[in-house]
Amino acid sequence: MFCRNQTTRATVARCSALEMEIRRGRFRRSVFLETLQDSDIQKKIDHEIRMRDGACKLLAACTQRDQALEASKSLLTCNTRIMAYMSELQRMKEAQVMQRVARRSSEAGPTDDRRPCKGKVAISDLRIPLMWKDTEYFKNKGELHRCAVFCLLQMGGEIHDTDMVMVDRTLTDICFDNTIVFNEASPGFDLRVELYSCSSEEDYSAGSTPRKLASKLSSSLGRSAGKKLRAAVDPGAGSPTGGGATLLLPVPAVAGPKYHLLAHTSLSLAHVQDNFRTHDLITSGNEECTYWVPLYGSVCCRLAAQPDCMNQQMMSGCLKVKQLGGDPQSSTNVYGVLKGTNLSCYHRQEDIESNVEPAFTIAINKETRIRASEKDPDSNVQSISISNLYGGEEVTHTVSADSRQETHRWMEAFWQHFYDMSQWKQCCDDLMKIDLPSPRKAALVTSKQGSLYHEMVIDTAGDIGTVTDILTRRMQELELRSQLGTSPPWMSLFAESPGRQRSPRLAGHSPRTPRRLPRSPLSPSRCPRPSLLSSDASLTSDSDSPCSTSPCSRHGGLAEPLSLPSSRFRPRTLSLDAKLSTLRGRGYGGALQCSCQPPTSSLTPIPAQRVSQATLSCSSSTSSNSSSEGRRSPESLDSSPFSRPSSARRSLRSMRAKLDPRNWLQSQV
Amino acid sequence: MSFIPGQPVTAVVQRIEIRKLRQGEHLILGFSIGGGIDQDPGQNPFSEDKSDKGIYVTRVTPGGPAEVAGLMMGDKVMQVNGWDMTMVTHDQARKRLTKKNEDVVRLLVTRKSLEQAVRHSMM
Repeated sequence: MFCRNQTTRATVARCSALEMEIRRGRFRRSVFLETLQDSDIQKKIDHEIRMRDGACKLLAACTQRDQALEASKSLLTCNTRIMAYMSELQRMKEAQVMQRVARRSSEAGPTDDRRPCKGKVAISDLRIPLMWKDTEYFKNKGELHRCAVFCLLQMGGEIHDTDMVMVDRTLTDICFDNTIVFNEASPGFDLRVELYSCSSEEDYSAGSTPRKLASKLSSSLGRSAGKKLRAAVDPGAGSPTGGGATLLLPVPAVAGPKYHLLAHTSLSLAHVQDNFRTHDLITSGNEECTYWVPLYGSVCCRLAAQPDCMNQQMMSGCLKVKQLGGDPQSSTNVYGVLKGTNLSCYHRQEDIESNVEPAFTIAINKETRIRASEKDPDSNVQSISISNLYGGEEVTHTVSADSRQETHRWMEAFWQHFYDMSQWKQCCDDLMKIDLPSPRKAALVTSKQGSLYHEMVIDTAGDIGTVTDILTRRMQELELRSQLGTSPPWMSLFAESPGRQRSPRLAGHSPRTPRRLPRSPLSPSRCPRPSLLSSDASLTSDSDSPCSTSPCSRHGGLAEPLSLPSSRFRPRTLSLDAKLSTLRGRGYGGALQCSCQPPTSSLTPIPAQRVSQATLSCSSSTSSNSSSEGRRSPESLDSSPFSRPSSARRSLRSMRAKLDPRNWLQSQV
Repeated sequence: MSFIPGQPVTAVVQRIEIRKLRQGEHLILGFSIGGGIDQDPGQNPFSEDKSDKGIYVTRVTPGGPAEVAGLMMGDKVMQVNGWDMTMVTHDQARKRLTKKNEDVVRLLVTRKSLEQAVRHSMM
């Protein structure tokens, strides 16, 4: 009566009426006392209660915010597990009671329901995309609001949690690297994924403030502070009260960060696939909550399932196999193993251990038809015929076992196998891979979660540096050459108007402006004015070729002075704001229309001044309306010959030019 | 013209006073600027230190107010009317130069030749 390994003891008094009834076999003792199963669960509950006490103590003792968040997470997990075990215990007790009632009422034997086999279900690579407002993400305004999030995965009685991830607006997705495997899953499983979050900035001590005081405080504080306080004191939506738990366990109120349920979803067999899939999330909470993280609304994960029928031997034994259509009298003695979608037939049983290939394999899948055939007249043993369709051809194998019981067992195995396959559906097509998480991996995971944007490094320094070095050298040798009087036509570009310091500047840095496109064949008298002015004007040129290569190409292309294709022009790029206000203001200010037609064709007939006029008017009006270029003569800005090209294409190209980070913006003031 | 982040910057500067020219309803200064903390400094052809994200004068319109005032191509603009221009974005720089209610901008610019001149004169 007294068992040491049972945590609870119930004693039945000797010679009591109850004992007599038990002796008479009316009741089983286990009805009143706990069964082995119950004690198992009780042990688990005790274990979790101990874990919970430990977590509470840790939470009270820790000073670091990270530690507090971790402790709070384990507290929440423990609570959820306790709730789940409690509810399971309750259900089992109820089932026992029902069973007892049923037994008393009727003598009906247990219905032989065929139950599908269990399986392993693994969820891995959880990724939850976020949707920050673009002002928050790109402009980096406001202080960095960080939240701690983790996922709680629940299937039946198994509850697992993922690692905690800190989320702030530099992240594009929340990624959980854990692989979580549930071992005893039935095909009708319901995997509940819950995302909990907690703001990592609030004052945790507010959680323990008594309610009355808190409401007084919140009414006297400002609106936002009061709201925060109220949210902290409020038990929140995330307290893990299981739906079916009728036993209420007092959840100890602890000071510390509290996690709230942010989103949840349920996954089942229909969502299982050997690939990544996106599922919808049901979010709770809104922007006002402290624990809010802007979710895009979906979760990507890989949900794989391995039913036991696919990776375990369901049935094995000696068989005689005969192929219809083959040699009618020959039947092979094999050792057959039913596993997965195949009945592998080995010559000997030892072949399986020695990894020898089976003699042949009969497919057992959804298309297979199995039926018991009539008794073989010779051996008086029933046999089973298995028919498959191999590419349009029907192949039938006749399989017979040694004795009738064996045959019956094989039939039973086949029926069970078919039933399993019908229940597990797509999981039985092929064995899905489940990578068991290696314990070593956790240490290697980097703690800092980077976003994709941080990984894209645009390193232009190297390219530009070498090219500009080359150009400097070339400039220097050309400078020498120019002193001898044989300067190429475009040298005039780098010559300032007379009266300025020319040489030091040339040797220095100025000539290497990549945006200069000299038109100086027009003015070989070294008047740099038109060339300088016209160079920046074109907006239609493609911005694809990086600046570093353009000077080089230009040097080469200047052999043909006048037939410069428009593609060589560098875009005249203004700052983004300027351009955007341009597009807005394009409706008015017609005189300042971007006349972005590259004036190659109109180069020769038009005098220099007009060219400069027209091209200068390319710059768009900024909000302060001051980007109108310097002009030498107040001619009318009506540059109609140049404002013909489609503004839509131009604006698109100019936008692209502006947004290309390789362009180095220049603004005319 | 290189600087160490966090350390004060010293430079020899020239004061340039530009009177804006009114052209219809636009006030123009007559030069172009490039650079800014949001721009790629490696593409600046005028800067000595390719990590210098300052504002540089990339072009001066001949005969314009800037040229008249003595601004030169390649100058680095340090201040505009007292506003710092060494740590600004490109658009902020443009805005500071193009305020509508200001007729005159007083720039402090620096260039390599200035430093050399000072150094020579000290020797």
